[in-house]
Amino acid sequence: MAADGLQLSHFASLVAFALFVSIALGCLTQRKTRGRVKYAAWSFALFIGVALAIAWLMYPFSR
Amino acid sequence: MTETHANQEGVAVSPGKGHSIAPLIVFAAWLVPGMGHLLLRRWGRALAFFFVVGGLALTGFLTRGQVFPPNSDDPFGTLGFLADACSGVFFALAHIIEKAGPDVSRAAGDYGTRFVAAAGIVNSLAMLDAYGISVGRRN
Repeated sequence: MAADGLQLSHFASLVAFALFVSIALGCLTQRKTRGRVKYAAWSFALFIGVALAIAWLMYPFSR
Repeated sequence: MTETHANQEGVAVSPGKGHSIAPLIVFAAWLVPGMGHLLLRRWGRALAFFFVVGGLALTGFLTRGQVFPPNSDDPFGTLGFLADACSGVFFALAHIIEKAGPDVSRAAGDYGTRFVAAAGIVNSLAMLDAYGISVGRRN
């Protein structure tokens, strides 16, 4: 790690954030382990999918 | 005879007993993320919240995100401080881990600020969950 801190790409930051928050949401909203895993996985997929979809929608206006 | 009632999920709970320890549970949950659930013997959730809050906070510190001080001049800085402070012991460790201070001139540092705030928000939700369990509203 360089002195200027950990260098995460935009996508790596998105994946890390989505992973942590999805686990938390799964634990908070579901009572059974199976339900938590399903909810966390679905939430993670939606985080990534929606972010990529918005990124592609914005792509034509990026330059 | 101990009187019981059913909570929202239909689980029978004894009223009164949990209310006396609820402030202690909430304080423990704030101080060390997951500790409230640990005291309530919810091992899985305790581990998950410690991992999630710790992971968010440490990622934020390592990417040199901003940790807001308590004496901020603007309301958003105060809100940032409140969010950051909710991560308990990780907030106290911020200045030890993030020795070089924040650098929000780069995208990673700016994202880091959000990670640190998110750690506090997730821990505040975990505190509410622990409170709900301790008073018998959740299981």
